Amino acid sequence: MSGQFDGDGAVVSEPTQKAPGRSATADVRVSFRRWLVKNVRNPYVVFTSLVQPVIFFVLFVEVFGAVSGDALSQAFDSNISYVTYLSPAIIIMSTLSSAATSGIGLVDDMEEGMFEKVLVSPMNRSAMFLGKLLSEVARIVVQTMIILLLGYLLLTLKTGSSTGQYVRTGIPGILGIVLITVLFGGAFMAYSNIVALVSRDQEATIMFSNLLTFPLMFVSSAFLPLDVLPGWINAIAVVNPITYGVDSVRAIMLGRDVMTVLDVTAFSGLWSTVVPGITVLTGFNLILGTVAVRLLRRAARAEVQ
Amino acid sequence: MTKGQTRSQQKGTDRSAETDLAIDAQNVRVTYEDGTEAVRGVSLRVEKGEFFGFLGPNGAGKTTTIKTLVTLLHPTRGSVRINGYDTAANPQAVRESIGYMAQETSIDRELTPRENLRLTCKLYGVPESEREDRIEELLDLVDLQDVADTRSETFSGGMKKRLDAATVLVHRPPVVFLDEPTTGLDPEARMRLWDYFERINDQGTTVFLTTQYLEEADHLCERLSLLQDGQVIATGAPETLKSEIGAAIFEVTLADPTEQQTECAVQAVQRIGALEGALIETTDDGLSVRAERAREATSELFVALDDAGVSVSGFDIRSPTLDDVFLALTGEDSTAAADEATNEGMASVSAQGVTK
Repeated sequence: MSGQFDGDGAVVSEPTQKAPGRSATADVRVSFRRWLVKNVRNPYVVFTSLVQPVIFFVLFVEVFGAVSGDALSQAFDSNISYVTYLSPAIIIMSTLSSAATSGIGLVDDMEEGMFEKVLVSPMNRSAMFLGKLLSEVARIVVQTMIILLLGYLLLTLKTGSSTGQYVRTGIPGILGIVLITVLFGGAFMAYSNIVALVSRDQEATIMFSNLLTFPLMFVSSAFLPLDVLPGWINAIAVVNPITYGVDSVRAIMLGRDVMTVLDVTAFSGLWSTVVPGITVLTGFNLILGTVAVRLLRRAARAEVQ
Repeated sequence: MTKGQTRSQQKGTDRSAETDLAIDAQNVRVTYEDGTEAVRGVSLRVEKGEFFGFLGPNGAGKTTTIKTLVTLLHPTRGSVRINGYDTAANPQAVRESIGYMAQETSIDRELTPRENLRLTCKLYGVPESEREDRIEELLDLVDLQDVADTRSETFSGGMKKRLDAATVLVHRPPVVFLDEPTTGLDPEARMRLWDYFERINDQGTTVFLTTQYLEEADHLCERLSLLQDGQVIATGAPETLKSEIGAAIFEVTLADPTEQQTECAVQAVQRIGALEGALIETTDDGLSVRAERAREATSELFVALDDAGVSVSGFDIRSPTLDDVFLALTGEDSTAAADEATNEGMASVSAQGVTK
């Protein structure tokens, strides 16, 4: 029945009965690359990922660094530069702002109709979200590396220390730091997507993520040792995932136990911080991740009864 | 037009074959969680290669129905088969064999047209070796070659729609669903899309189009269903539907359209023997008379009006439009009539369609 007219030359030729098959890994790659391109083109993303951490890092080092000396020597016996102390905070803060924008892309897709477009295509749905997630993970990995490099440069400029003085656990330590930022980021990506799926609104998603990012940083061990901070901040810091992210990264950088919110002694040295840190962050991931996946599933078949 | 008609006639003879259904929806009902019955028992049979229209006012259930056809919504009751695949049992096979252009323009605004097309090629697994050629073809088809590498966020509504329409075709689906593809476009952009849809249909693609514009359905569709309140109230070729409601319509404009004058005119028309059984309706500035033998009674009508002392300032005899069909079937005006600016553009187009 399909009448073929050759007259039109440049147009669609015969319809195929079915689109050729694909694999789930190929679908992940497609989605990953799409979001990578979108991220690189988005000035907001480039700003939060690259410019903002640099600004905060330099300003905090200059301002807080000037007065932090006593607090640091009170909490740690050895001589630790504020650049090294602050690096984990900047790393975690940037991870947080990146992860918290995850939901914006989702809302965007829903508003633009791309969400539905993918749903109606034969693409694997889980693969699509996995690809988007991986692009955010890539972003977090890259910015973590950039901040580490910047921190090292700042430290060298200020004190002339060597690499070994900055990340004291070396290359394995850097890998560990990246893994923790990814784990930490996961929890907040889930949080951001939950807000996005509940509000279905870009501004609400941005607002909630900013609302959370800034205050939460201060009620944790990020900028100063908890020992020198008021008791109520200590109380909140115990349940604040930022504390666990920052402490874990810091323990790896300094190569020692730095956690004060939990008194874990079952492991030796830095592991007394890292093991409980990873445990708590994994818990946050499981809880928030489950909620996000449920909401996402519901959105994908929102109108299906 | 002639080409389309010949083709639909050919199909008419084949209709007994039955295996050639692109869309087969049986008694589809959709009830939303809040109890709203959006679709109340719609059955559709669309053959392969057909250009099928689904016409109805806003809120009639067009989008809800189309969503059940493209696997975005499961009907509460009833079943849908697309290209022989059941949408509930085998949604994946259905998705692979259809293209769906949603009512809201669905493109990635941060990507260029070429990138958008490449992305959809990948979504549908178009083999890499064929991708670039196909993208070029489609860019030519929708006339976006000049801006192929410009980010689409700055495009006009019409350009975005055209790009969206192109992305629907990357995998050469045998069936394409278009949900109000021209709503909100200017007449020129609308004409370009129409041309494009006719071309893909000429190449054998089954097209299922929803629209609230009667002229659009009249111009494009070989067959159509009229939908109201979630139910199909009529199905057939536009010509058939129009011929069913009577031969001709008088539109009389009165010089002095007061209630009294209009009443006088109505009574005068009612007394004409040749117009017995005519449907007379008063309009804003006069009256319309729909009758089987309206054309033959033209001079009688004038005489009768003159005798009654009614002076006529305007007059028109026309064949019924789909709007009249809608009016006759529902007693309601279609929403399209309200959109005056749009209708002017459409009117000239449908006039062309008739003269062909």
